[in-house]
Amino acid sequence: MAKLIKGVFLGVLNVVFIWTALFLLGHQAYWVLLLLVLGAALVNFIFISEKGYPYRYLLPASFFMILLVVYPIVYTVYVSVTNYGTGNILSKEQAVTQLQERRILDAEAGNYTYTAYRDGAGELWFLFTSPQGELLLGHAGRLEPVQEGDERFSQLAQFTELTRADLVRATNELSALSFAFDETWQLQMRNINYFGVYRPQYEYIRERDELIDLESGTVYRPVLGYFEAPDGTRLTPGFREVIGLNNFRRLFTNPQVTGPFVRVFIWTVQWALLSVGCTFAVGLLLAILLHDPYLRLRKFYRSVLILPYAVPAFISALIWRGLFHTELGIINQVLRATIGSGVPWLQDPVWAKVALVILNLWLGFPYMMLVCLGALQSIDHEMYEAAVVYGACSWQQFYHITLPLMMVSVAPLLIASFSFNFNNFSVIYLLTRGRPPMVGAQTPAGHTDILISYTYRLAFESGRGVDYGLASAVTLVIFLITGAITFINFRFTGALEEVRKNV
Amino acid sequence: MKRIAVFSLVFALALALSLPAAASVPGELLIWIDGERAPVLTAVARTFVAEYGIPVKIQELPFGDIRDNLAIVAPTGEGPDIIIGAHDWLGQLVSDGLIEPIDIENPSLFLQSGLDAFTWGGQYYGIPYAIESIGLFYNKDLVGEDGIASFEELVELTKNELAPKGIYGLVLPQPDPYHTFPFFSMLGGYVFGVDEEGVLNPLDVGLANAGAIEGFEFFEQLLNEGVIARATPYDTMMSLFQNGQAATMMTGPWAFGDVRAAGVNYGFTQIPSYKGQYGKPFLGAQGFMVSAFSENKLLANIFLNEFVATKETMLAIFEGDPRPTAFLPAAEVINEDPDMRGVMEAAAEAVPMPAIPAMNSVWTAWSDAIELVINQQSTPRAAIQNAVEIIVQTIQESM
Repeated sequence: MAKLIKGVFLGVLNVVFIWTALFLLGHQAYWVLLLLVLGAALVNFIFISEKGYPYRYLLPASFFMILLVVYPIVYTVYVSVTNYGTGNILSKEQAVTQLQERRILDAEAGNYTYTAYRDGAGELWFLFTSPQGELLLGHAGRLEPVQEGDERFSQLAQFTELTRADLVRATNELSALSFAFDETWQLQMRNINYFGVYRPQYEYIRERDELIDLESGTVYRPVLGYFEAPDGTRLTPGFREVIGLNNFRRLFTNPQVTGPFVRVFIWTVQWALLSVGCTFAVGLLLAILLHDPYLRLRKFYRSVLILPYAVPAFISALIWRGLFHTELGIINQVLRATIGSGVPWLQDPVWAKVALVILNLWLGFPYMMLVCLGALQSIDHEMYEAAVVYGACSWQQFYHITLPLMMVSVAPLLIASFSFNFNNFSVIYLLTRGRPPMVGAQTPAGHTDILISYTYRLAFESGRGVDYGLASAVTLVIFLITGAITFINFRFTGALEEVRKNV
Repeated sequence: MKRIAVFSLVFALALALSLPAAASVPGELLIWIDGERAPVLTAVARTFVAEYGIPVKIQELPFGDIRDNLAIVAPTGEGPDIIIGAHDWLGQLVSDGLIEPIDIENPSLFLQSGLDAFTWGGQYYGIPYAIESIGLFYNKDLVGEDGIASFEELVELTKNELAPKGIYGLVLPQPDPYHTFPFFSMLGGYVFGVDEEGVLNPLDVGLANAGAIEGFEFFEQLLNEGVIARATPYDTMMSLFQNGQAATMMTGPWAFGDVRAAGVNYGFTQIPSYKGQYGKPFLGAQGFMVSAFSENKLLANIFLNEFVATKETMLAIFEGDPRPTAFLPAAEVINEDPDMRGVMEAAAEAVPMPAIPAMNSVWTAWSDAIELVINQQSTPRAAIQNAVEIIVQTIQESM
């Protein structure tokens, strides 16, 4: 039975593999195909051979780790050294193709009407009428003048004339055709009704990697993702290209970035610390209260207190934005009724930060409470009995038993929470969007912008549109900062574990 | 065991080969369209299929996702032939090399401003179906049947009649550059200047010229005098107008539903004048575009020119989602609706919202300047001059 299930499972997996392989083959993605074949071979080996047995459980985990963690990081590193962004999203090959296809219409030559015929062999024949009324016979890329009554003209009568519906069905075939007037000018389809006189605008010379404007003779060479003339004129579209460390250089030399960096960085650290500190303090307090076995309705309180965690953060944040509204928000209405004046929650730099911390406290304390409850339950009760015997007061019990033992399991989660809040884009974006703005700022940075929201502005509100290259560079820098902080933190908790061992 | 494996492999191969290949085929149109217009296009596609036997596939996407998805999918050859979109995507889509000029067979059938909005470098890149701009909603019970023609009149009315009753003269979403632009434009401000060839110059930002500053100072004055309610986000603005606590409201045709639902006796007209000059709002246009990676470019042109640019299709699009049409034969019918006539009046003074990618760097700095003035933390002059400095720097840096 187990074998049957395994066989069916492997079969289904192989169906997926083969189907994907055919798909990749169709798209000529040979490198990915190679990876897929290797992967599929590995999977089959592991499941069929007895030797592969131990890897059976390791494989899916590694697969998803590569897919969801390693690959995005590698890709981000790659994008950070390219100019990928508005104006540079095509491959060079695609950009060249588009520029080569660009054609110039000779407007003075006017529109040529046409009748199309198919001969017995299925080949196309055309009878064009120029705006001056001259007749031209077109076939196989060649044009020749004809008169009514010519032999060639009357020959057309034996062919099948294409109806309009035939023409519409054949547009893709017709629009690929080109009839040479001379070396430069060609008769090509303009729309379903007319042909026009065209010539190509550019010629690409592959050996020298140059694009030549056929009219002016200007030579365009590829420079940092664009074909550029000697005078600096660029052709669009540009293309994706590796531009080395340019994005990082921009990041570190641009006064718009470096100027507010320190200020934004300090607030980011404050924000992450305050978020973790407040949520942990409140969560711990509630956990201790709920841990008391003599408390009535314990389960009820616990369920109610978890509710903020159950409501999607997006909804909570939007509701809080309403509550914080200076004129109409309930918070200020209560404040006005009790102490006589409200608080400019989202307009004042300090109060906006306070509002953010309050919101994050609301969103985060249930998580901390759950974590602390779990940790409290794992502490051996005999410790407290021993402490009571030795005459420790409840504060001493908390400080010398509860806190250190709980920290062992909670500290790594606090560090994770710190890193998470360090990059907590959505809360900032939903409540303040980095506002209020600074008076006389050198950049569009707001008082409550943290690194990630600030760099989001840099990358997605850049002067050229969207700048994925810069965004990736910024992400890597933030990744390094968060990584360094987390590393230091883990060293710190490592020390805590030493304490525990010595106890 | 091995037998099972071999059997499953053979079975898998057989199954895989019987699946249809997934690749885009020339000779079949694929259209990306938003949910509100999808039913109309599905019906149009049916007539196209009936006439020519060429299959048309309609894929529904949220309007706002179409641009980004096109940038991801089109270069891989899996993209659509036709998309629906807004005119201000043009700059990005053209410089990305994602859309193709369209041969509009009969441009005289379209509203000029709609065509202008979809023109880039002297070529049409879209067939417009709708235009929109903000205008002035007015409460007829508070300001009379004919509405308000000038800001001077509005100030007078607020001081003498409305303010004593606790009613604001005007509400608009704040801080919101899109809705505040008429104050900047009415005395000569602009976002980007135009060079000799009619091309927008991203380094010529006219939001802090003399006219713009004067208009912005007038906006501040209206806030300080209590004519405009201060710091109202969109929903607050809406509820003030719905409850009769504001006599007029500056926003666009998307608000008709909410206003009607509240039972306000309203009218819609163009934005009032100040010193005899009308505040020019931004004009937005929506239309159909053809992908540069389409395998069926001419076919797409035929479909758009002969099956979409028709009175029946345009009226059906209007009925699905009432916005002022950009197609003149349909306008005759649609403009019998007084709301739509109001929008057309408002749009007559409008200037197309700049479609160049540099516009991305304008919004935040501009919005910050407006917010600083609303929060009384800066003078209009200092705030907007600083904002323009930031904008020009940001654009320069990325060039």
